[in-house]
Amino acid sequence: MSIKILLYIAGRAVKGLLVLLVIAVFNFFLIRAAPGDPAQVMAGEAGATDEVFLQQLREQFGLDQPLYYQLWVYINNMLHFDMGITYRQQMPVFDLIMDRMPATLLLTGAAFVLSLLLGVLAGVVAAAKHRKWPDSAITVAALVFYATPLFWLAMMASLLFSVYLDWLPSFGMQTVGEDFAGWDKVRDIGIHLVLPAATLGLFFTAVYARMTRTSMIETSRLDFVKTAKAKGMKPSRVLYRHVLRNALLPVVTLAGLQAGQLIGGAVLTETVFAWPGIGRLMFDALFQRDYNLLLGVFFISSAMVVLFNLITDVIYCVVDPRIEL
Amino acid sequence: MNIIKTLSQNKVAMVGFAVLVMLILVAVLGPYVYEGTPWKMVQRPFIPPFENSSYLLGTDILGRDVLAGLIYGTRISLLVSFVSTVIALLIGIPLGAYAGYFGGWVDEVLMRFTEIFQTVPSFALAIVLVAIFEPSVYSITGAIALVSWPPVARLVRGEFLRLRNQEYVLAAKLNGQSNRNIILKEILPNSLSPIIVLASLMVATAILLESSLAFLGLGDPEIMSWGYMIGSSRTVIRQAWWLSFIPGVAIAVTVLALNLLGEGLNDALNPKLSGKRES
Amino acid sequence: MKKIVMGVVIACLPFASSVYSKPSDGGTINVVVQPEPPSLMIGMYSNGTTQQVGGNIFEGLLRYDKDLNPHSLLATSWENSNDGKTWTFHLKPDVLWHDGQAFTSADVVFSVDKLLRQTNARLRTSLAFVDSITATDDYTVVFQLKEPYGPFIRLFEVGTMPMMPKHIYAGTDYKTNPANHHPIGTGPFKFDEWQKGSFIHLTKNENYHVKGLPHIDDIYWHVIPDAASRAVAYETGKIDVLPGGSVENFDVARLSELDNTCVTTDGWEFFAPQAWLWLNNRQGPTADKRFRQAVMYAMDREFAKSVLWNGYGEIAKGPIGSKTKFFDDSLPDYEYNPEKAKALLKEMGYDGTPVRLMPMPYGETWQRWAEVIKQNLKEVGIKTTIVSTDVAGWNQKISDWDYDISFTYLYQYGDPALGVARSYISSNIAKGSPWNNAEGYNDPQIDKWFDEAAVAFPDSKRAELYKKIQHKLVEDVPVAWLMELEFPTIYNCKIENLIDSGIGINDAFGTAWIKQ
Repeated sequence: MSIKILLYIAGRAVKGLLVLLVIAVFNFFLIRAAPGDPAQVMAGEAGATDEVFLQQLREQFGLDQPLYYQLWVYINNMLHFDMGITYRQQMPVFDLIMDRMPATLLLTGAAFVLSLLLGVLAGVVAAAKHRKWPDSAITVAALVFYATPLFWLAMMASLLFSVYLDWLPSFGMQTVGEDFAGWDKVRDIGIHLVLPAATLGLFFTAVYARMTRTSMIETSRLDFVKTAKAKGMKPSRVLYRHVLRNALLPVVTLAGLQAGQLIGGAVLTETVFAWPGIGRLMFDALFQRDYNLLLGVFFISSAMVVLFNLITDVIYCVVDPRIEL
Repeated sequence: MNIIKTLSQNKVAMVGFAVLVMLILVAVLGPYVYEGTPWKMVQRPFIPPFENSSYLLGTDILGRDVLAGLIYGTRISLLVSFVSTVIALLIGIPLGAYAGYFGGWVDEVLMRFTEIFQTVPSFALAIVLVAIFEPSVYSITGAIALVSWPPVARLVRGEFLRLRNQEYVLAAKLNGQSNRNIILKEILPNSLSPIIVLASLMVATAILLESSLAFLGLGDPEIMSWGYMIGSSRTVIRQAWWLSFIPGVAIAVTVLALNLLGEGLNDALNPKLSGKRES
Repeated sequence: MKKIVMGVVIACLPFASSVYSKPSDGGTINVVVQPEPPSLMIGMYSNGTTQQVGGNIFEGLLRYDKDLNPHSLLATSWENSNDGKTWTFHLKPDVLWHDGQAFTSADVVFSVDKLLRQTNARLRTSLAFVDSITATDDYTVVFQLKEPYGPFIRLFEVGTMPMMPKHIYAGTDYKTNPANHHPIGTGPFKFDEWQKGSFIHLTKNENYHVKGLPHIDDIYWHVIPDAASRAVAYETGKIDVLPGGSVENFDVARLSELDNTCVTTDGWEFFAPQAWLWLNNRQGPTADKRFRQAVMYAMDREFAKSVLWNGYGEIAKGPIGSKTKFFDDSLPDYEYNPEKAKALLKEMGYDGTPVRLMPMPYGETWQRWAEVIKQNLKEVGIKTTIVSTDVAGWNQKISDWDYDISFTYLYQYGDPALGVARSYISSNIAKGSPWNNAEGYNDPQIDKWFDEAAVAFPDSKRAELYKKIQHKLVEDVPVAWLMELEFPTIYNCKIENLIDSGIGINDAFGTAWIKQ
């Protein structure tokens, strides 16, 4: 890798960090604009409270300090890689997020790989059979899945596959109360993963299929492909050697952008399937007014977006050296 | 004229267009036909569809007319998605135009700003915004607009970067036309096609976003919407699956129609660019 | 001093031992816990689910049966002096904390006088009537009251007055004590593991002070944040017990028809949750008594009961629950009568000013209920706007009195002095809490009666006062009473003796066993 690329990466990383800092400050003020505070949530759930109790909680959480001071403490902690303590669980925010992160990464990772493979495959088939029935079938299916609300699809899938057919579990990540180990555990998680990953993945499958198809058809009209064909190269070889490779570039870009966004988008899937990931954690933290936790989840998921964008750019540049950074 | 002709020859796009026109008619006229309110409890709960002729699609968990809910829901879905798209365009177009036209530090600052919004996971941000400003038509529309303008800005910026060195632009500059004039009268009209295409898809995405928010309980409690109908009947999905099924189909059909139209527009407006969009 | 003996030594804990077959030992029970508790430290958090799980780890001095009669637990007997002001409790010897230390009177004095006085808002109010708490020997504790406080004997349940280990908490910062993450109690189950967001695991306390108990080996409390998933989990047999309120009401009917499924509304007697609408007595149309009465007549509460609550519960007649002591059944009735409501509104000259209606942010049923009431009010000409909100916002708005009409429900805790007076006496009008007199009702006569009733002795005198109170309040409608709620507990019939006290699921598993 050349110095140029390394310098580029370093530059981007610095810019990315600045963006993250701005996001942290912005989010800090945003969440404080919400009515109520964590002490009131806890009091509200407790069924009995008074001003003394509220004040005790606020002091404990450091919420009795002036806002600018709280911001200063927060940013200062962040600079020391400390995301604070959650109010509710009384755990370090970072630990809690890392607790939930594997679940989300597993779900989104599976959905991502699934949708990329399936989507590109469907797109290639559709492009290869352009204007024939497989093309129409794939195009229609892609359009329908693209238009269907994710949460609704998830509900219908769980109704069909778990309630009526009883093939797959409809919630959670593991069978509760069973202490599986080794392959049994992998199998158990795998079974639980099918429905959430499939529903989350289907939407993106549709996106990638459409993208690959259009991109392939366009590329195949380009001059160098025509030349290759004219030279008498076998059509299948042209397709895979020349067309696919070039057609995949925009798909990679989009995939890179979405890899980061998937984490935020998992909220719905995690809600419907009670998947113990950070999407759900964020949603709960919001209603708990668990400021530190919410800011932490936002920070981590934004950092993932920055990271994935950077990776995409680098891949892009490696795949196609003509691209200027 | 040419565009309309091309578009009208695209059967699939015309189907989408027809569905959309019908939906708009339902949204505008429906409430006059179905007077009163979709919240009224009119019959016993859980009447299945096609059983009672007065309530064709049956009744929901409280005995409210599902068809009435669907009709009023059309209104809110279309309203929120159109308005939020317009707002997103009003933010995205000027931002992208200035960034692309002036370049340099203006571009750098505006693009960093855009990047911030693109970095925060958008659905998560929308949830937080609606929850914080309390669910209402305004906060929902605003939140959707706020998370969907960055692609507009990037697209417009790209177009302006491409067009700003065209001969007719340089000529206008030499003629001493103001920057404002050049942006509005010279470059913008020439970059409208991809914006229109993007806008049609944004409306579709906004409908999905609105319904997702309502599904999570972040809808305006005063307004019957499709997402609300699904979310509120979710707990009874085993007893009455149709209550979640019907509004889901409504969303899917609407979004599909918008996508078909968008594709058609794309083919008609940018024969060369077909399918490729800035992301 | 002559003493009236109030309690006797009961050899064995189960008081509902109408069991035909002999309990068998062993087995695991899977229970739903919703929402995930913030902590299991029952002495500091009075959240419902903290009590549900913590009630099996910790214990109070007494238990209460479904008729709210006290029974021995950590205290074997207790006496009250003739003047009603001195209470003496004799503790059970040979009780061990989960870490092996002995439980003594020092723990009792520390828990009540130090820890709970600081951390438990509800108990703090009652402790104001207590002059001193002293340990006369290792197994005797004397509570000296300032006045004969009627509800005193109702304070010893685990949720109100849990015993905390002095050797762990004394001299520490209670809120940050590391033991909060690994609670040590005297209860039938020991804390084993808590995977946040997933499950809490309790195991059998082999050294439990009641011989032969508990029967169950393990309890898993599962965190399943989604109501529909909780229902499915029960159906597929992954969950054995759905505590009241953990599935949406619409699912209750369906689930209760499943094979091997038992449903009971028992176990809420102590709490007797009562739902009502806060009507802001300070401002707007709701400040007018006639408007408030009109609201009562406008509501079709039977509809709400049958459609939203599956027929469970009772229409509330007034401030005191119909199953609570001191309820007066001669109260006039607010039947569903829109015409009467319209007439009242006309009489007061209601000009159609819209009012805000705030649902309770605790699930679908409450949201739907608000939609129903909105329609009911609309029919009589009251225009409402539903304010949407979440727990924090709801709490803040009621605490700041920034509402017109809002849903709520409160527990009665077995005695009007504990659970009812707090919502109507003027000394309890204070911003900062949604659980006090948030409607702002202020009537010196009512204040006086409630004050007298708390310390009147004996009970017949209290009953007289509470009768007057009920009639006056029902006439004034400071809040619009909706329903006495019942939360059915759904469980697999293989579990025997699940609910055997007035706090139900909150200390359920000590005597439960699984049929082989």
